[in-house]
Amino acid sequence: MSSAEIAEDYKSSLEDLTSNDGMQIRTLTVIAKENTDYAQAISRVLENHIRTTPPPQKLPALYVADSIVKNIGNPYTGFLGRNMYQTFMNVYTLVDGNTRKKLDEMLNTWKLPAPGSKDTRPVFPPEITRNIESALIKARTAALQQQQARAQPDILGRSRASVTPTGRTNSPMPQNHQHAQNGHSTPTPSLPQRQDLDYLNRDVDALIVSAKKDFANSPFNPVSQQRLKALVDLQAILQTQQLSPEQLKLVRDQVSALAASRPPSVPPIAGPSGSAVSTPPVIPPAPPVSQPFQQLLNSGTLAGLIKATASRQQPTPPPQMPAALPQMPQIPQQGNTPQPAAQENPLIAALRARGLLPGGPTPSSLTPSTSTPVPGRTTLPFILPNGMQVTPPAPSQTPIAANGSGVPMKSAAMKIPRFALLVSLYDSRPNRCGTCGRRFLTTDEGKEMKARHLDWHFKTNQRMTESSRRAQNRSWYVDERDWIKSREAGDENGAVDTQPTTEGTAGVDGNAKQEPPKPWIRAPNDATLRNTPCPICQEKFESTWSEDVQDWIWQDATKVGSRVYHASCYAEVTKGPAPTSQRTGTPDSVLGKRKAEGTESPGHKTRIKTEPA
Amino acid sequence: MSLPGLGLTQPLDERSQGPAPPSQISLKPGSEWRFEVAFGHIIKVKLLNGTAELFGTELAESQTYTFTGTKAAIFTWHGCSLEVSAVDKPASTSDGITPTAGRGAAGCQSEYTAEETPMVEYANVHFALETMREEALSIGKDGPRVLLLGPENTGKTTLAKILTAYATKIGRQPLVVNLDPTEGMLSVPGTLTATTFRTILDVEDGWGSSPMSGPSPVPVKLPLVYSYPMESPLDGEGAVYRPIISRLALSVTGRMAEDEDVRETGIIVDTPGILSLDNPGAMDLINHIVTEFSITTILVLGSERLYSTIARQYDNKPSSSATAAVFDEVISVVKLSKSGGCVDRDAAFRKATRESQIRSYFFGNPIPISSPSSAITLSPHAQQLDFTSLSLYNYTVTSADDEDEDEYDPSQLATNSFLPGGQDDYPTEPKQDPDRAAPLPGVVGSLSEPAENANNVSSVPLKKVLPPAPSDLANTLLAITHAPTNASPADVRDASIMGFLYVADVDVQKGTIRVLAPVGGRMPPRAVIWAKRWPGELVGLVG
Repeated sequence: MSSAEIAEDYKSSLEDLTSNDGMQIRTLTVIAKENTDYAQAISRVLENHIRTTPPPQKLPALYVADSIVKNIGNPYTGFLGRNMYQTFMNVYTLVDGNTRKKLDEMLNTWKLPAPGSKDTRPVFPPEITRNIESALIKARTAALQQQQARAQPDILGRSRASVTPTGRTNSPMPQNHQHAQNGHSTPTPSLPQRQDLDYLNRDVDALIVSAKKDFANSPFNPVSQQRLKALVDLQAILQTQQLSPEQLKLVRDQVSALAASRPPSVPPIAGPSGSAVSTPPVIPPAPPVSQPFQQLLNSGTLAGLIKATASRQQPTPPPQMPAALPQMPQIPQQGNTPQPAAQENPLIAALRARGLLPGGPTPSSLTPSTSTPVPGRTTLPFILPNGMQVTPPAPSQTPIAANGSGVPMKSAAMKIPRFALLVSLYDSRPNRCGTCGRRFLTTDEGKEMKARHLDWHFKTNQRMTESSRRAQNRSWYVDERDWIKSREAGDENGAVDTQPTTEGTAGVDGNAKQEPPKPWIRAPNDATLRNTPCPICQEKFESTWSEDVQDWIWQDATKVGSRVYHASCYAEVTKGPAPTSQRTGTPDSVLGKRKAEGTESPGHKTRIKTEPA
Repeated sequence: MSLPGLGLTQPLDERSQGPAPPSQISLKPGSEWRFEVAFGHIIKVKLLNGTAELFGTELAESQTYTFTGTKAAIFTWHGCSLEVSAVDKPASTSDGITPTAGRGAAGCQSEYTAEETPMVEYANVHFALETMREEALSIGKDGPRVLLLGPENTGKTTLAKILTAYATKIGRQPLVVNLDPTEGMLSVPGTLTATTFRTILDVEDGWGSSPMSGPSPVPVKLPLVYSYPMESPLDGEGAVYRPIISRLALSVTGRMAEDEDVRETGIIVDTPGILSLDNPGAMDLINHIVTEFSITTILVLGSERLYSTIARQYDNKPSSSATAAVFDEVISVVKLSKSGGCVDRDAAFRKATRESQIRSYFFGNPIPISSPSSAITLSPHAQQLDFTSLSLYNYTVTSADDEDEDEYDPSQLATNSFLPGGQDDYPTEPKQDPDRAAPLPGVVGSLSEPAENANNVSSVPLKKVLPPAPSDLANTLLAITHAPTNASPADVRDASIMGFLYVADVDVQKGTIRVLAPVGGRMPPRAVIWAKRWPGELVGLVG
């Protein structure tokens, strides 16, 4: 076999490695060992794979390298060691906190001799590990400083002003007004800044070149698309706008961070809050607070931050969210004074226009083309006009208010990938039920819902076991009136509510909740009994489906001897406790209610459209 | 990665037929695994890692899902790996179908990974609907009402499921209306249904299940069911379909008016493919549906021609909603690609699907597998009924097809199958021999019909079946309506139904029939509609 064939083979084997599977890693090590003649090719393939595989799969891939070097040593140590600094840093930048811990641990083992080996030299030559370590220390220090610099308002903070709810209309306030508000002046670029700008332009150019290459390799990959577009926009802004020092600094930070983390080719669509419960290999990275290199173009994290800073009415911002961009700290709230609407910052606007940020402050707008005031803006497909949707955990009262997208219902708009919006379906609800896969928010309410949902599963399982002993049958379908009155029972609230949730009155009658639980019985299967009316009011019983009981039940019913009465009728007649429900015992009460509903109900014949033959 | 010979981890099922070893399938982001499993063959699918969804409903990790008689696809946005294995336990084949293991992984008839899917479009539809919902909420109007159109096998129902699953996933409660009588939704074929979805759809069993007396591992859904015992909406020139649609729409409107969650989310209407062909009268029916449900959004799948026709007629026209003028609400028509995964479901497969739906209505979960957690066995009640006690109605309409076929192909009349035949038109008179050849049934029916039931609206082609019991009642379904026994034909037609009886046996001499009822106890005193034409005869439901 030629070296190319071996490499190709090895590559495809590597692609199957998606989790930390010891067996696979050992196999890959053995293959490498058997082909030491092609060590160079294999090492290149492995390096490339580590660089291009999605972040959750980077650690296992790196473990392959680790295993090869520890078990085989040279020539692999030499080949892999050559680029280990870049490889390691690349991975470190893109993975989440847990994985980083594992990387740190691995790095520590590299400073020691391979376990079980007679060789007393460390796994990798000390200069390699030292380089990596010092880079990590530098990065951590920088992150720390940035955290301390938190109090200083910056560009994103300012843009927040335009994202506040009051900014809905986007009225054209002059921008300097806003500067004044934040206590900033807009200085003209000074000389050092010029220089900065030049550097910056050069860096951006370089990044664009690399992004283009990346884009050419994987045109379908939304991340590389977005990255390239954002960079081009950034360039346009740098060339046409005058930016304040803070803005420049921010851009510079981002660009250098980007440069440090050369674009991964298949990163997942990462969410800011992806990792609360699931297991590391499959989740998108959720950068911890101390993360030194943020992913500038990770739309999810940016969105998270914007959202976090924007919705100040939210009493407790979801826990993981603010972590995203350490050097774009949340500013202390500036009281509750409504912020005047302001023009959006061009940089942010550009990012937003490219779909990297959620839309502007208008939660929903019919006119999707409301665009951002970016000079030199070309029409690009990633326009996400308005709507704060990509949002991660929304405030509990409006759990669904944040999923819209400003996507127009037009044929032309359907073909455009909007991967960022998928966050609303997946990452923004990272809290999964292990049994059925349902997702929940990470808010307190979401947790509570999940707890009830799990409770529902538990009870259902119990009932399944019990009921497997007795015969079950399909129930009759409900009639129109019951169906219209019915409210979908949720598995997340059925377990707590002693009242069945599907039946009509609870949904309609607001008082129902304050009343003590009404007595009910299972609807008898025997038809004679079922058709026997209440002996007191001579009204028939109504069967309602109870999610809780998982059976048809009669509300407000009680069995006395062999007869079934309305509990309230019975109570009234026997001078027991006062009636607990709206039923008064007179047949009219319920009938009267029904009549009132009848005007709306489909039973009303006059509303039926008759068709000519 | 399938490694032949590594079948050691096979679960402890009977392996009499030497099951295929579990295969692992890795999916790249944005790709899907399409698979077809024959009726009688069972496969198990497990999500090992990543995220995966089947028609929009997410699979839980490490849970085993079983499939039989399915053509479906598992899609991933983020990449995933699946483990697929066969359960080679001979399935309960009371219907005589031999389990056929295909040659694909785990014995699928066909299975492959596809990288090109229209999921980006479908997700965008969801996002666009979300935008509309938010907008509607902010200005206080009703959520979007979506109509799905497209020829057969273009993925209409699949798209309906995806949109429903996505909406419920983020906490919405869409109201889904199935207007396709060839396929039941939460019921048997020959029904039109409306259901509000709040809980997760059933990955294994399509839409899920209607209520049963016992618990269900996937929350049950509560459908409102109307009987439409014909295959095509065009039968009788829509004279039956149309009023039932109106009635259904009325109930849906009633629900919308009272149920805030549903009102915000809106409606998703699935239609039969036949409406999207160039049939005379189909446009009229589409128009009727658009009007009755105040449709705001029409999604056209897989037909450029239909799209242009529909767009010309509806795009940017005001919706029929009462508040359309207030909110300046216009209809948008959107064209969507058909998935390459849409496969033709041949007549045999469709028939098997129908039978499986009917069987599971009476007997529960169709998958008789080892895992007891998801299998639910229902016990219907067999009972003897006096035919005279029944208030049985039968539709006396002919489809346009029938007339043509009757004219040119008289042999059609001799077949006593479930296919739309020409026999429906004479059971109204007391007849001794229902199988006697009727020369021109269509003509006879339409002539004799107005003469009878003179006290009722003559336009309703629904006539009471008088004793003695026709022998071709056997092996058919009877729909028990909510209408009283003395209701007018129009009321019977428009009544929602409470369930089905299956006629196992007819004793013409004694005038009794033996039926299978889902619920025990005495037969409710209600008008009954004979589902003779559709879904028609189903042999062997009761052994």
